[in-house]
Amino acid sequence: MIDYFTIALTHGLIALAAFRLLWRDNLDREDLPVPGEAEQSPKGPEGR
Amino acid sequence: MLDLALIGFFGLLLLMGLKRPFIWVLLYIYVDIVAPQKVGWGIIQSLPLSLMAFAAAFCGWLLLDSKQGSRFTFRQGLILLLLAYCAMTTLMAQFPEAAQVKWDWVWKAMIFAAFLPLTLRTKLRLEAAALVMALAVGAIVINGAMKTVLGGGGYGTLSLLVDENAGLYEGSIISTAAIATIPLILWLARHGTIFKPEWKVWTFAGAFVFACLLIPIGTSARTGLVCIAFLGAFMLRSVKYKFVYAGFAGLALIAAIPFLPQSYLDRMGTITNHQSDQSASTRLAVWSWTLDYAARNPLGGGFDAYRANSFTYHTIETTEVGGNVMRDYTEVTEEARAYHSSYFEMLGEQGWPGLIIFLWLHALGAWQMERIRWRFAKRENGRKSWQYGMATALQQAQLTYLVGAAFVGIAYQPFIFMLVGLQCGLWSYIQRVEAKPAKARFTRPGSEVPKPAEA
Repeated sequence: MIDYFTIALTHGLIALAAFRLLWRDNLDREDLPVPGEAEQSPKGPEGR
Repeated sequence: MLDLALIGFFGLLLLMGLKRPFIWVLLYIYVDIVAPQKVGWGIIQSLPLSLMAFAAAFCGWLLLDSKQGSRFTFRQGLILLLLAYCAMTTLMAQFPEAAQVKWDWVWKAMIFAAFLPLTLRTKLRLEAAALVMALAVGAIVINGAMKTVLGGGGYGTLSLLVDENAGLYEGSIISTAAIATIPLILWLARHGTIFKPEWKVWTFAGAFVFACLLIPIGTSARTGLVCIAFLGAFMLRSVKYKFVYAGFAGLALIAAIPFLPQSYLDRMGTITNHQSDQSASTRLAVWSWTLDYAARNPLGGGFDAYRANSFTYHTIETTEVGGNVMRDYTEVTEEARAYHSSYFEMLGEQGWPGLIIFLWLHALGAWQMERIRWRFAKRENGRKSWQYGMATALQQAQLTYLVGAAFVGIAYQPFIFMLVGLQCGLWSYIQRVEAKPAKARFTRPGSEVPKPAEA
């Protein structure tokens, strides 16, 4: 039971992450401006 | 059923890779850590998942992926040098058959570590690789932690996903890897963009870290306790409120002691009293044997050279009976004892040249992460940047692993080679991105036509 739960949880999260990556163009190249994200800047969105 | 689910998951990621070939690299990371072919029971065991994922990852990169920004770093060269050296000692191994068996998985780990940084061209890829690594370790760790809480722990008795002391599924190894994963989890929770920092992510991360801390308890692996102590002390260096952190850590420790099982406390008590403990005595004996062996074979004896050892020693048991102290000397003879330390493993198997390359590879990694930290610490809000955070996390993870590695023979584990690969990727990424503005000054104005934004 625990085995099934942990496999479902972690594999589900990996699949969800991979699914989200499908729609992220900055996975493959960063020279395109990505709306709402300024990831190359070291000051980044965390500087808020 | 389980087989179908795992194969389905593998197939799903293979399919997703058709749109984004980098997902195949992530798939290999997952397969190498979780070993789904061992988790399942039926047909999945006969499928060469690891080979399939590696072929997909490599061909995907070679044929479909852009190479823009891919760089070969010096440390990748060191990995290949170590690989070539291991190949040589395998050919001349003292125990050729055993050496061949170990070589069969070691070369894959090293090749992948040398290959991984070439694919880590963007920040998102670095993040994705770290995330999949953490979640894959999570599959083993969360499972083990839940079983520990429900009372299935003990040295060598905690059954993980796979009932086999192979790969990461061995108690001391998973304890070390679990503790080394903690810095990665914290970094992902703070700087993640795939799963953005919010209460759900922080709750999961908190539970995950707790699960990692439970693994050394569940497996009663003393190495894990040493790793926790090291990481706890080492993190003091990079936390903002040092006294608050130290206070909370101390309180957590005191609060945890009553909940620790007695068997665990008993075993941990043997750390200081190594003479009565066979496992610790063996370690010291194997280590001194390895030094002698390396003096006779300075170029190494090839994989599994420890099979040549055999020694007799005494363990001392002290008991108190009615005020009298009794000492029992027991003679123990053992043969073919494993190294119980990655450094002695390297020394015995790859000799002094191998050990030097190995130490060089790791020392250089820790140093490069430190330089990234310096670089960003100087900037305004630089300590809050993802680069500073990732360098810190990778350094903490690596050093924690290397501390644990002093007591377990895990020098060639794919987990540490993946960490090395991530470090190389981050280093090369920062070298490239940070060097851009300086180079741009030399281009003639107007010589570069700005590209239209593609949809």
